[in-house]
Amino acid sequence: MQAVDGVDLELFPGEIHALVGENGAGKSTLAAIAYGAVRPDEGTVTAAGVVGLVHQHFKLIERLRVWENVLLNREPRRGLTIDTGAARERVRALGEAYGLRVDPDAVVETLPVGIKQRVELLRELDREPAVLLLDEPTASLAPGEIASFFATVAGLAARGTAILVVTHKLAEVIAYSARVTVMRAGAVVARHRTSDTSADQIAREMVGGEVPAVAARADRPVEPLLEARGFSAVSGTSELIDATFTVGAGEIVGIAGIEGNGQSALADALAGVIAFTGALSLAGTPLRPDEGPAGRLQRGVRVIPQDRRREALVLDWNVRDNAVLGRQRVIPFARYGETARELIARFDVRPPNLDAIVGMLSGGNQQKIVVGRALAGAPALIVAYQPTRGIDIGAAILVQSRLIEARNAGAGVLLISFELDEIFACADRVLVLAQGRIAGEFTHETIDRGRIGSLMAGRT
Amino acid sequence: MSALVAGILAVLTLTLIKATPLIYAALGGVLSERSGVVNIGLEGILIAGAFTSVVVSGATGSPVVGALCGIVAGALLAAILAYGATRLGVDQIVAGTGLNIAALAAAAFGIVLVYHQPGATHEVPAFGRAGETTLIVLAFAMAVLLHVILNRTPWGLHVRACGEDPGAAEAAGIDALRTRFTAVVIGGAIASLGGVYLALAELDLYSDGMTAGRGFIALAAVIFGRWTPLGATGAALFFGFFSALQFSLQRAGIASELMQALPYLAAVVALAGFAGRVRAPASDGVPYVRT
Amino acid sequence: MRTLLGGRTARDLMVVVVLVFGVGSIAMLLAHVSPLDGFGALFDGAFGTREEVAETLVQTTNLLFPALGIAIAFRAGLFNIGAEGQLVLGGFAAGWLGAQVPLPAVLAVPMVLIAGTLAGGAWGAIPGFLRARYGANEVIATLMLNVIAVLLATYLVNGPLALPGSGASETPTLPHAAQLGDLVANSRLTWAFPIALVLAFALRWLLQRTVFGYELRAAGDAPEAAKRAGIDLGRTALIAMTLSGAMAGLGGATIVAGELHRFNTGLSPGYGFIAIAVALVGNLDPLWIIVAAFAFGVLQSGGIAMQAEAGVPRDVVSLVTGLVIIALAGRRVVATRRTT
Repeated sequence: MQAVDGVDLELFPGEIHALVGENGAGKSTLAAIAYGAVRPDEGTVTAAGVVGLVHQHFKLIERLRVWENVLLNREPRRGLTIDTGAARERVRALGEAYGLRVDPDAVVETLPVGIKQRVELLRELDREPAVLLLDEPTASLAPGEIASFFATVAGLAARGTAILVVTHKLAEVIAYSARVTVMRAGAVVARHRTSDTSADQIAREMVGGEVPAVAARADRPVEPLLEARGFSAVSGTSELIDATFTVGAGEIVGIAGIEGNGQSALADALAGVIAFTGALSLAGTPLRPDEGPAGRLQRGVRVIPQDRRREALVLDWNVRDNAVLGRQRVIPFARYGETARELIARFDVRPPNLDAIVGMLSGGNQQKIVVGRALAGAPALIVAYQPTRGIDIGAAILVQSRLIEARNAGAGVLLISFELDEIFACADRVLVLAQGRIAGEFTHETIDRGRIGSLMAGRT
Repeated sequence: MSALVAGILAVLTLTLIKATPLIYAALGGVLSERSGVVNIGLEGILIAGAFTSVVVSGATGSPVVGALCGIVAGALLAAILAYGATRLGVDQIVAGTGLNIAALAAAAFGIVLVYHQPGATHEVPAFGRAGETTLIVLAFAMAVLLHVILNRTPWGLHVRACGEDPGAAEAAGIDALRTRFTAVVIGGAIASLGGVYLALAELDLYSDGMTAGRGFIALAAVIFGRWTPLGATGAALFFGFFSALQFSLQRAGIASELMQALPYLAAVVALAGFAGRVRAPASDGVPYVRT
Repeated sequence: MRTLLGGRTARDLMVVVVLVFGVGSIAMLLAHVSPLDGFGALFDGAFGTREEVAETLVQTTNLLFPALGIAIAFRAGLFNIGAEGQLVLGGFAAGWLGAQVPLPAVLAVPMVLIAGTLAGGAWGAIPGFLRARYGANEVIATLMLNVIAVLLATYLVNGPLALPGSGASETPTLPHAAQLGDLVANSRLTWAFPIALVLAFALRWLLQRTVFGYELRAAGDAPEAAKRAGIDLGRTALIAMTLSGAMAGLGGATIVAGELHRFNTGLSPGYGFIAIAVALVGNLDPLWIIVAAFAFGVLQSGGIAMQAEAGVPRDVVSLVTGLVIIALAGRRVVATRRTT
């Protein structure tokens, strides 16, 4: 299947051009081709100067310093060695010039995500690009920071740079771009001047029709299920501090927040992968910090992890063996096949073949297996961490619907997501996580986008 | 009193002598691993350096020429591993193990071919006191040089980048595969000097199994030295001390096998103590595959 | 990610064949021996007479035990480079206990074999424990323990555990009751061979058809996912390394009880290392490993004849073995793990 098929794209200096499409549409591949990292099978790429690319997942070397990352392979020399003084000064000056201040000596892995993005941007800006490609640049920014980010970008455009923003955030496209190109399944399906179109029209073009609706949330009584008091945990660089909250059986609690504000610590502590301090109890009985994932699974806690390829699936194995992972001791060995068949049917896994190797499946189908597994056997609590990350809209709607159905049937769901739209569509209550703490709580009725955005950015 | 001082001096001197081959091997290991390639084949490289230098010295009468050829042999062996690790993306630990087995066998075979007797070569022209001292000093100088190269030069920065995140390095325009290849080969050249020292400085011949697992102890030294040239040198001195201790204690009448096991035991105990508290370069041992 | 089965296995075997005949021929020519003579002597030595075939099967058996152990470790994501040491200590335990404790045959043989299995298992448990508890790199640990094992056995057999009536670095001859019975007269082939075959089948069943095998493979193929699925990686590492060592130890015990009828520190010409090649050529699948063990068994027994008859040093066989290991190192034999 072609990732990108017969695409023409033109970028003009001084213009911000948006490239939109859902996950898997080919946007990132096209950006990589434009950058030169990927060679197209057919067609040409021409640019009137240097092309820079700020990647969606930063290409920064965590254990090196800021200046080493920014000037990698372009280091100022003094004889045979690096002129570290000149290097630091150059990075400092660069930051000043673009209003993206960073400490040149800081080690990248100690920096918060927003600052890391500045480093990534500076690396490209140092090359004085004529064309700058930005792949999902606002994924790690608070709603309030997005405006100032685009102000910076507009400044670059005003200096004559041609800018391409690859995104799926239609509100930003409408607000900040001059032109928009819509991709679907590897091909360009529409081109507009942004002023001539609307978010709804673009959304329809992205999906190729109407977006199906998510399952409805049924009215139901909520009983207490998960209680956290002073709950704290550390997982790598992610830190959760003193969280006090509840999740009821029969409700979906959304955890809104920018990536890097403690979500991983929250998810990993609930999964039993790391220890925690504070009090945590499920249906009245305490959860112990040393139980481990096996203990949590026994208590009926199921986690849909953020990184399915590494944390949820054995890519070399077939669908049958992956479908029982997590319940391999609970289900009799002889019934593995039967269990897998049920899952495939219920979650529309394609191809519906027990022996298909999971590594060969699309992201959406892989995620269906992970979610199907987590929801099997009527779990008490489901922790869904970015459950629709990187999958097509059809699979995403299915996943969200299944989570809502589980909630309707009496499970408690903790939905951790970086996409506010997803949280608003699914959650009964919303908690905002900022800098590791719970910064605010909203019910479905009291949701206020502006307020939530401020809290996410750390402003009270 | 002076007997005690003499005894201590003897142990210290012996420590230096025993540590030197470990230092060379460990430095080679550090360079390789900082670029992202685990070199389990250090033992084989020591063998290659030792055997080749002996044969060439015997043929030419010059230990220096022998040493140079030993370096070339070590580099060639490392190149095999480097090719497998970079172009073929093979499992580096398995490949290194195969290299060790092959090198040991090739040397044993070579002994029979060249000297028509199994087990050991004849004695050959070797380094005298001056040469031996030079090699010892050179080892420490090499450690400092490697430290400067890794931390102060552009190439050193590129090597470190490849060891942490070759994808990011390539995004910056560095050829990660070529950088790794070069680092492994140079590392092999450095490590082989350890074999040269064993064969031509400490002794004057090559015999089957003379490297006795020093290449593996050097790997432990790389870990305890936190993958830095100076740290690995310190760790190598530590292990060399245990080797030296073995000789002294043996003369005190303790069973020789237990004493011989000291350095290896030290390595195992230290592994338990250090493991988990040090971090390897992030991409160490992970083949980089260009997508 | 292991190299996958099917077509790749065929290609890999081709590589093995090319290496064996190609490099072997070059080495023979260097030794002034025609490859025809050299390989002729090798194959004649392996298959010529009934006794020679039996000897080939003996070598096969000696490789099969440690190879199965190494394969189990690999499948669990661990490198057991210490099979040689585990084998030696297993042999020592068998030889020592068998010479000490007089029992009727029906008890003596199992005792001797179990002793070897336990000794090897214990020696494998050490790096397993270090890995489970401290996250210590088992590659270096097993390498170090190899050397320590031989030194330990030598020390014990000559020193505190020396038995009367033994030569240097060996135990006295085992009483007849403790010896494994011969399968073929005038040969060293014993019941060890069928035991090894049964073990291979048992391991395959264990890996593919039990929950234990499922969890072990998950730990090897996707450690992070396995952990989150409730699998205890530390416990798996410990069990896998113990099992691995146990198999190598059992191999040592069968050498002592079957072929040599005594323990000798030189009982293994490096079986623990050649077995790595066997495990890889066999693609870490117990049944294919039987085939691979036979192939290398041919090289081992033929190699002795090749040296005796054609004057080609046996080291050629080890050289080719090492090259085979390099060639079959394959894409990521073991999944990436985060340890030192």
